[in-house]
Amino acid sequence: MARIELRNIQRKWGEFWGVRDVNLAIEDREFLVLLGPSGCGKTTTMRMIAGLEEPTEGEIVMDGEVVNGVDARDRDVAMVFQGYALYPNMTVYENIRFPLRMRRIPPSEHDARVRRAAEMVELSEFLDRKPAALSGGQRQRAALARAIVREPYVFLMDEPLSNLDAKLRQQMRVQIKYIQRKLQITTVYVTHDQIEAMTLADRIVVMKAGAIQQIGTPDQIYHDPANTFVAGFIGSPPMNLVAGRLEGGTFSAEGIRVDGLPDRLGGDVVIGIRPEDCTVADEGHLSAEVFGLEPTGDVTYLTLRAGDKLIEVKADRSYRVPLGSGATVAFDPARIYLFDAATGERLR
Amino acid sequence: MPKAGTEEASDLDPSARGVAKAAPQQPARTRFRRRNRRLKRWFPYLLVAPAVIYLMLITLYPGVFAITQSFYKVKFGPWRPIGFANYARLLGDYQFLGALWNTFLIGSISLALQCVIALTLAFHTYRDPWIRGWRIVFLVPMLFMPSAVAFLYKLAFLDARVFSDILIRLGLIEHNLAIQSSTWLSRAVLILADVWQWTPFLFIIFVAALQGQDEEVEEAARLDGASWFQIFWNISLPMMRPVIVVALTLRAIDITTMFANVFIITKGGPAFGTETISYFIYRTGFRSFDFGYASAASVVMLILTVIVAQTVVKRAFVSARS
Ligand SMILES: Nc1ncnc2c1ncn2[C@@H]1O[C@H](COP(=O)(O)OP(=O)(O)OP(=O)(O)O)[C@@H](O)[C@H]1O
Ligand SMILES: [Mg+2]
Repeated sequence: MARIELRNIQRKWGEFWGVRDVNLAIEDREFLVLLGPSGCGKTTTMRMIAGLEEPTEGEIVMDGEVVNGVDARDRDVAMVFQGYALYPNMTVYENIRFPLRMRRIPPSEHDARVRRAAEMVELSEFLDRKPAALSGGQRQRAALARAIVREPYVFLMDEPLSNLDAKLRQQMRVQIKYIQRKLQITTVYVTHDQIEAMTLADRIVVMKAGAIQQIGTPDQIYHDPANTFVAGFIGSPPMNLVAGRLEGGTFSAEGIRVDGLPDRLGGDVVIGIRPEDCTVADEGHLSAEVFGLEPTGDVTYLTLRAGDKLIEVKADRSYRVPLGSGATVAFDPARIYLFDAATGERLR
Repeated sequence: MPKAGTEEASDLDPSARGVAKAAPQQPARTRFRRRNRRLKRWFPYLLVAPAVIYLMLITLYPGVFAITQSFYKVKFGPWRPIGFANYARLLGDYQFLGALWNTFLIGSISLALQCVIALTLAFHTYRDPWIRGWRIVFLVPMLFMPSAVAFLYKLAFLDARVFSDILIRLGLIEHNLAIQSSTWLSRAVLILADVWQWTPFLFIIFVAALQGQDEEVEEAARLDGASWFQIFWNISLPMMRPVIVVALTLRAIDITTMFANVFIITKGGPAFGTETISYFIYRTGFRSFDFGYASAASVVMLILTVIVAQTVVKRAFVSARS
């Protein structure tokens, strides 16, 4: 059992709030991803769970027991540090073995375990090297191996794949998910990368400026964003957000006109539409100048300029049009989101 | 011409290449400024010249003088060349060999003690919020004048018998300790004085090294289940090795030439039991006025020190990448 609860957690440095009002229950065996822009308090939250940082206020509860003040060493967590924190005087092998030695795991098991962990992160050839002689990505994988070599109460991973190339990253993602499922260990995972968040998470926590914006499954976060921040943060390219006026079920902004929206709402609103819910058509909601065209192979990203606003559209892979010409785009009316212009909160 | 500048040299002096070829074209003017190469080459030497000349005057000259003198019999009057006789005599001189042994003994015990104490103190204080305070407190003994410390210890342990008195009052012993007549107790006083005064030096260096250590590495080790001592033993200490070696080498050189304490506290007694090399040289040179012989002893000492320091330092610096 490993259920972790954060109750009203605050972390202040002087007048600066690193983390504020965090309430979060991490279920047993859950894979929880913390997602948010740089500096939003992800690492700080993780360090408080690990016991490396004491919350200014609030309680951290593990399996019903308040663990504030319990030393990091006694919480039995395994953490991948954002900055790797490898032991510079030890080889990769010794680095990975260190937690086994310290946690008094029978020495007869060490070798097999170290090699298995190294193999999972494809580092077997580098076991004799010291960290200084490794590339950034290799160091990161060494740090990952050191965390997964033992079976802790909880895994904490702070951007463990940020320095890897796309292919390795995909492989490591699969490995991490596999290990987590097999060992059934509660995991908290920090990332900037949405694909990582969407593919790994049971639930995603979106944070901004130290506060939680939304907690939900990847589907909920994607299909049902709570506010403009979450909507604009998830998806690549992210959701188009256009401010305008809504009156009698009709939304209008420069170059855009959308009918058939709920007429019980009105006033200044922001509409959100994902690039993948737009289609290039002869007749549609938006006619504007083509500002950019990015063919990527499997899809073509079309950027339109409506007034001073840029709208991203995911077009067919064979779609081509000269820059500066006009294009018309239709939105999927069922997939238009409405947000309050002042607060950014979702209007339902 | 040095090969470092073959390319530059060709600009200055086309014949330097020894090929009957037209001088290479002066590169077209570019936006990069070319500095005067001759000046660039000599400028660094120019900068260090005053210091080097000064050093040579105060160290090299006496050094050469001592080496020369060691091959002569010098006892007032004219110098008489005697080849290696002074050195041969040293090898059979039990007082010299005894002094070597004493220096080694007192030095290594004292060094080991202060190293262990300094490491222990540094380990316990380096993440302490009051570390600035600790540093100042521990620094105090180092600020004393060495001869003042020597007199302090002479008073406390020998003349005024403060130490014996305390022990008697505590009921630990019945009579005054006969420190002056005991070789080992006299050595102990010398060791104690040195440890007291110089542990702070090591402490400060060790604390600085420990504070420079990546805190996140310590945190990682904590999460991996290491105790503070295990972190120190498995990570900090190996990382500090070069620092420790350099600090100890400096200290060792200092201890080998220990003089003031011996001169003031024990005068080498009892029966040469605490006579160090420096004191032996002093006694030979300025008491027996056997200058050539004293010079030979200093030369031997110098060679030994250089050899030891070189090997120790060289071995300690193994690249982190290996
Ligand atoms: N020791 C500290 N003292 C003062 N402020 C701090 C301290 N540690 C972190 N902060 C601040 O707290 C905020 C959150 O930091 P944190 O490291 O948790 O961000 P993060 O979400 O992990 O960012 P990134 O994605 O860039 O790693 C930042 O604005 C940071 O400047
Ligand atoms: Mg971070």
